Amino acid sequence: MKLEELRKIRERAEAEMRLRAGQARVKIVVGMGTSGIAAGARQVLRAILDEVARRNLKDVLVTQTGEKGLSAKEPLVEVHEPGRITIYGDVDEATARRIVVEHVIHGRIVEDHLVELREVPK
Amino acid sequence: MVEDLAFHLADLVENAVRAGARNVTIELIREGRDFLIRVVDDGVGMDGATRKRAADPFFTTKPGRRIGLGLAFLRQTAEELGGSFRLESAFGKGTRVEARIPWDHPDRPPLGDLPGTLVPLIATSPVEFRLLFRDDRKEWTLDTQEIKRALGEVPLVTPEVLSFLEREIREGIRALGWKEEG
Repeated sequence: MKLEELRKIRERAEAEMRLRAGQARVKIVVGMGTSGIAAGARQVLRAILDEVARRNLKDVLVTQTGEKGLSAKEPLVEVHEPGRITIYGDVDEATARRIVVEHVIHGRIVEDHLVELREVPK
Repeated sequence: MVEDLAFHLADLVENAVRAGARNVTIELIREGRDFLIRVVDDGVGMDGATRKRAADPFFTTKPGRRIGLGLAFLRQTAEELGGSFRLESAFGKGTRVEARIPWDHPDRPPLGDLPGTLVPLIATSPVEFRLLFRDDRKEWTLDTQEIKRALGEVPLVTPEVLSFLEREIREGIRALGWKEEG
């Protein structure tokens, strides 16, 4: 294992985290429940990670969760921001990339896949 | 649907994560004429009745889904090629799944995109993974606990870390002389 390489990655990433005071601006959660996986959540997760990496988005955290009880609309993707959670349904790879570009970068909701917009306390 | 071995492996890993495992070991081993896929987890495990039916295509423990094809597909692939499939599980202790596939069988599915399939799962699951690739002569390992220790607070989903993980796994495959497409 290349611990030296990891150490350098750590130094760079920590410097960036300090710049934004350790906070991720956006958290993207991919529903990986079974129906979600059958419906292609694995590809969706991969597309999101890829798009975030390609666009070098440093303040976005990507994670996964289990079944959400909305299995008819899976794969589901949630975008968590201060004050609101946006839930998208029937997400495929192309939509996943649109969510990253249109919503996360430009702040525009991807209306045609919107399932729910939930206000949350900041 | 083309079911490469990476796809089968991802199914097993997802089962382990869903079983609430804290540690998952993924072993890919060339042993004699066989290729072994083994996934061991310390998740919730299965009781006797569940275990007996786990590789039955019409059985699933998952709500909202009528059939549970993951294990059944892998068993079918292994057995059709003259290999074998074994599942050991104890309720409360964990599960161990092992498929033995004849490497030189003309119908053996390709290895597939292991880094691309595994890295998203590894990086986003709240589980420690240990990967072991080996044959009679060489061994390659990757341990997420070790990586996380080296990274401190930096998460695995950091883009640079993701490409590090992909590169490492690709290197492991290359070190063993395996090819993704065959």
